[in-house]
Amino acid sequence: MAFLEVVEKISFFDLKTNIDNGNIADLFKEDCKINVTSSGNNHLVLGDSSGQVHLVTRSWSVHSFRAYELCTDHLYQLKNSSLLVTIGQDEPGVNPLIKIWDTNRLDKNGTPHCFRVTRALPGNRPVQVSALCVHENLQLMALGFVDGSLMLYRGDITRERSSKQKLLRDASSTVTGLAFKSTSSNIYLFLATDSSVLVYNITHKDKEERIHLDNIGCAKRCCVLAESIQESHFMVGRNDAVYCYTTDGRGPCYAIDGEKVMLEWFRSYLIIISKTNRPTAVNSVSNGNQSSGLQGDSITVLDIHNKFIVFSATMSRIKAVLNEFGSFYLIDEENRVYHLDEKDLQSKLSLLFKKNLYDIAIRIAKSQQYDTEGLVDIFKQYGDHLCNKGDYTGAIEQYIKTIGKLEPSYVIRKFLDSQHIEKLTMYLQALHKERQATEDHTTLLLNCYTKLSNTLGQNEGLKEFILSKDSDLSYDVDVAIKVCRQGSPSEALMLAKRHEKHDWYIKLLIEDHQKYCEVLEYISSLNFENAETYMRKYGNILIEKVPNESTQFLKKLCTNYKPRDSMIISENALTGNYDLPHHAEPEDFIHLFLNNSERLVEFLEHVIEEGSILTTPVYNTLLEHYLHVWTNSQNDRTKWSQKILKLLQNPDIKYDKAQALVVCHMHSFGEGILYLYEEQKLYQQILRHHITKNDMNSILACCRRFGNQEPNLWVQALWSCVRDTPNPPQALLNEILTVIAKERLLSPQLVIDALGSENTDITVGHIKSYIMNELEQEQGKTAEITGLIQNYRKDTDKLKKQLETLKSGAIVIQGSRCAACHHPLELPTIHFLCQHSYHQHCFQSFCDEDQGCPACQPENKNLLELLKAREHNRDLNETFHSQLEKAHDGYSVAAEYFGRGVFNSYKDITNKAVKKLIEKKDEEEISRTLIPKVEKELRDYGYGAEARLRQSEKKPSQIIPPISEGKLRQQETSRYGSSLKSNTNFDKKKDVYTSNIPGTLNPFESDYDPSNNPFENEQEESEDDTNPFRDNYECDKNLNPFS
Amino acid sequence: MSYAYLFKYIIIGDTGVGKSCLLLQFTDKRFQPVHDLTIGVEFGARMITIDSKQIKLQIWDTAGQEAFRSITRSYYRGAAGALLVYDITRRETFNHLTTWLDDARQHSNSNMVIMLIGNKSDLESRREVKKEEGEAFAREHGLVFMETSAKTAANVEEAFINTAKEIYEKIQEGVFDINNEANGIKIGPQHSPTNPSLPGATGSSGSQGGGCC
Ligand SMILES: Nc1nc2c(ncn2[C@@H]2O[C@H](COP(=O)(O)OP(=O)(O)O)[C@@H](O)[C@H]2O)c(=O)[nH]1
Ligand SMILES: [Mg+2]
Repeated sequence: MAFLEVVEKISFFDLKTNIDNGNIADLFKEDCKINVTSSGNNHLVLGDSSGQVHLVTRSWSVHSFRAYELCTDHLYQLKNSSLLVTIGQDEPGVNPLIKIWDTNRLDKNGTPHCFRVTRALPGNRPVQVSALCVHENLQLMALGFVDGSLMLYRGDITRERSSKQKLLRDASSTVTGLAFKSTSSNIYLFLATDSSVLVYNITHKDKEERIHLDNIGCAKRCCVLAESIQESHFMVGRNDAVYCYTTDGRGPCYAIDGEKVMLEWFRSYLIIISKTNRPTAVNSVSNGNQSSGLQGDSITVLDIHNKFIVFSATMSRIKAVLNEFGSFYLIDEENRVYHLDEKDLQSKLSLLFKKNLYDIAIRIAKSQQYDTEGLVDIFKQYGDHLCNKGDYTGAIEQYIKTIGKLEPSYVIRKFLDSQHIEKLTMYLQALHKERQATEDHTTLLLNCYTKLSNTLGQNEGLKEFILSKDSDLSYDVDVAIKVCRQGSPSEALMLAKRHEKHDWYIKLLIEDHQKYCEVLEYISSLNFENAETYMRKYGNILIEKVPNESTQFLKKLCTNYKPRDSMIISENALTGNYDLPHHAEPEDFIHLFLNNSERLVEFLEHVIEEGSILTTPVYNTLLEHYLHVWTNSQNDRTKWSQKILKLLQNPDIKYDKAQALVVCHMHSFGEGILYLYEEQKLYQQILRHHITKNDMNSILACCRRFGNQEPNLWVQALWSCVRDTPNPPQALLNEILTVIAKERLLSPQLVIDALGSENTDITVGHIKSYIMNELEQEQGKTAEITGLIQNYRKDTDKLKKQLETLKSGAIVIQGSRCAACHHPLELPTIHFLCQHSYHQHCFQSFCDEDQGCPACQPENKNLLELLKAREHNRDLNETFHSQLEKAHDGYSVAAEYFGRGVFNSYKDITNKAVKKLIEKKDEEEISRTLIPKVEKELRDYGYGAEARLRQSEKKPSQIIPPISEGKLRQQETSRYGSSLKSNTNFDKKKDVYTSNIPGTLNPFESDYDPSNNPFENEQEESEDDTNPFRDNYECDKNLNPFS
Repeated sequence: MSYAYLFKYIIIGDTGVGKSCLLLQFTDKRFQPVHDLTIGVEFGARMITIDSKQIKLQIWDTAGQEAFRSITRSYYRGAAGALLVYDITRRETFNHLTTWLDDARQHSNSNMVIMLIGNKSDLESRREVKKEEGEAFAREHGLVFMETSAKTAANVEEAFINTAKEIYEKIQEGVFDINNEANGIKIGPQHSPTNPSLPGATGSSGSQGGGCC
């Protein structure tokens, strides 16, 4: 048979002869021969034809005792107990006796203790016992008889009384073999006879169940229970094969030819001794004692697990096969003992390798729990072998099993030839499955897929690879995507999607597929963090390619983002925690829109509508883009402008006003500019704006509106009329002039000067009424003042006269009453030049220091102190200079000192000049040519001259000094705030001047108190009408550049 | 696992038609491309459920060679079902069907359910025997026919289970004498309710029992 021939040459066992040094053979001389054998509990047991029993130890020492008088027929040594069951004859005839021994308890003669002696009598007939079997639990014993009867003993076998016997089977064919089989729940007794195989279920006493298994039986000793295999089989050797039985019936069978003599079980090996006619193979090793003509037996050892023959030999007749000491022994007809020594695994394997029986080697290695390294080595050798044979598919299968241990490059190198690409693919796939793949392997595998699909049209591989679960294949997804991207972009995309490599997916969609909408859709299915990140990253291109969709998405992202397809009620909400809606910061995305104002506006509008509070820069940006859109829009400018205004007016929107103004200017968005000006009370700017626009009505409206807050507007309006308007409407001019006149915003000279300076179209006719009005007023005022002067003069004269009287005339003291007590005077009295008289006692009690009139004293004191103060102030020159040097605003210092009369020594010059000026001014005729002259003189002289000079140096062409337009323009381009600042500075300066100067100096204050008049002492010098301070006052008011 | 019935099957057919592979596929759900030649008879078992009854299938996989024919013959008796397998890629295996069928009919009990299997249906490109031919043969001889692939497992379950169903029906019809074990049918041990607490009473290790020996 093919099977046997292939493996016949393999020998896993070494046959060793004469291992007992002939000890056993020495036991049986003369006629005595081995009748029966058994083994267990660390010794071999031999029963001979003389009734002796021999116990043989591992070191081959023998202990013998007489068990029976005549002969020993059966032996059963329990495997794990010292009990030995024997059946033999003590007297001639058919009279079998069961004896049970304890081989550990020897008496003084060396005979083991015998528990019981029982006659074996089935149904009271004397019959020879043909089979004996004892259960290891020592509770069951079965005896088979030649007549076919079967006796079962239950209960402790060592005690006759507790052991009950039962006849299970009556006469039929001779029992040839017995075996107990225990499963977790049942106990079976297999029984083989000449012509049948049976099994009894003997689990339950008196409920024994008989199952017929087969109608063919076997010879004595030709059945065995194979215990180490999964479902232990009862094996029965017949001439054609060894049949196996389960408790259910026939199992498998092994076709092994030959007349069986003996079956024995050793570990997972079935030892079959069968008759053969072939010459014995052991001749060479068996000391040459063998006569080759003799019939021998063949021994076959079958590995049941791996289903092949591991040893076979022919030798002389075998009497016994004994399985003990972890090995097995044979005893032949001539009582020679052979040891079949199993080779170690390594030698077995190398034997198999030599014969290229790799798959057997693998099976053996596995069944022996060979270590993985060893196994892998076998796989590799097998693979190499198959490779050499050209069986690449087979080889790959083997190599795949080496994954994890064998360096993959070893295998890959063998299969790099394009012929083997399919196999290489298989290997690489497996490599990935085992999570052993490196990046290079992934790359290679994907390239293989590509090649396969190119050359062979197989593209399922790649798909499968991509669709494989994470748990199935492990690879570096990034690498895979990278590789796929070159060959098959769509697969790369699939990969990225499957593995949630968002970045890759988006990148691929954009760069390789240009599917922007899909990108957006994909992003919108991501969770917030991812969506935000990727929108930041790829927003630019998306806005560029699909502005509309991108904007819509951004709107969502920045207001209340929820991933698409996400559950309506999130898990958190279900558990009671409401999760905050996510929204991104709109600012982060503004830059994306830089080239697309309309979208940005749309985006921000939406965001604001949704109630997001944005930062100032965002609002600024929005405004800027609004304006941009507004500028570019053709049809719906009004709509946009309304929107812009709405934005500007929205109190919730904290945009930067200054910047807003700048952008409004940049885009010349009038409404916005005006709104902002108004908002910030920059009425001048509003006016200026209108002026630049040359919108007279607006100018007027603006002046009317803000005139009360900022009277100066009117002046500016006037200037604008003058300078910029070619032909200002009369009504406008009139109104302006009326207001200027009413509010005394500008002196008539200046008005006229202004009107005359620039615009030739304005004729006297235009301003006639104004001038008339002014002059009338002026005259009225002059008259009023003249009156006042006369009054003062009268007072002065009076005082002079008094003085004269006091100096030269006699003074009649007529007072009849005391100024203190108002009682008529009685002597002694005290009289003063001031016409006050006192009783002396009154005076003394009234006044501590008897120096002056107590009634006049407070008044005099005041006057004296005033004078003293003036004297003192005059000496401050030094201080003045040092202060001037230090001062940040020297002008105000100087003005202050001027007020204190520091410059009094120059008074004469000033006086003269002013006098001249006043004379001129008084003339009714004012010619245009004169005005500059007056102006010049006004500038050159008098109080405030210095200030004016400084001004004219700075801006020579300008008469009205407030912040120049040019300057404003300049500032607009930078930051408006600074102009505002300079404006306020300006106001402050003005305050300084007006408060300091008249306060100390002005003698014409309405509440004029003569006693306070600082000029009282200088009366003589300043006698004439042309008090410079009066004019100064007047001039000051009109000319003050800061008013 | 206790069972209501035990059915014994035999798989027959020429060497190499895939008998062992079919058994392995059915019992272990795997395909082993390189399979040793079967020496004698291999053996497998698996539990199936029919009509909500647990049925244990015990399957003998025989060697196809002529040399083992006598051993194989001894297994016919005691089988309730037979899978007669040919290889659709090798016409001669189809041609030998009559011999196998005669043998089976001669040595088995007359009620044995025989299913004709055309195996290796995955090798369509190398097909030599048309499906119709198989169907015709089955009709002619009163067999059930099915094409299977032990490699892809296509129809493998069905082949075994359909056979079991047919046997089960025959039992219901009373055709089988279930008390005669030579018919390949055994009533399960759960009919003796003495030890219900001990399932596994038969000592079988369930569906994994096959292929080990
Ligand atoms: N392609 C294919 N090959 C099969 C199939 N069944 C078995 N084989 C192969 O056929 C060969 C013989 O199979 P085997 O089961 O040993 O056949 P047996 O002799 O009938 O037991 C083996 O190499 C199997 O790989 C199948 O369904 N499809
Ligand atoms: Mg086979």
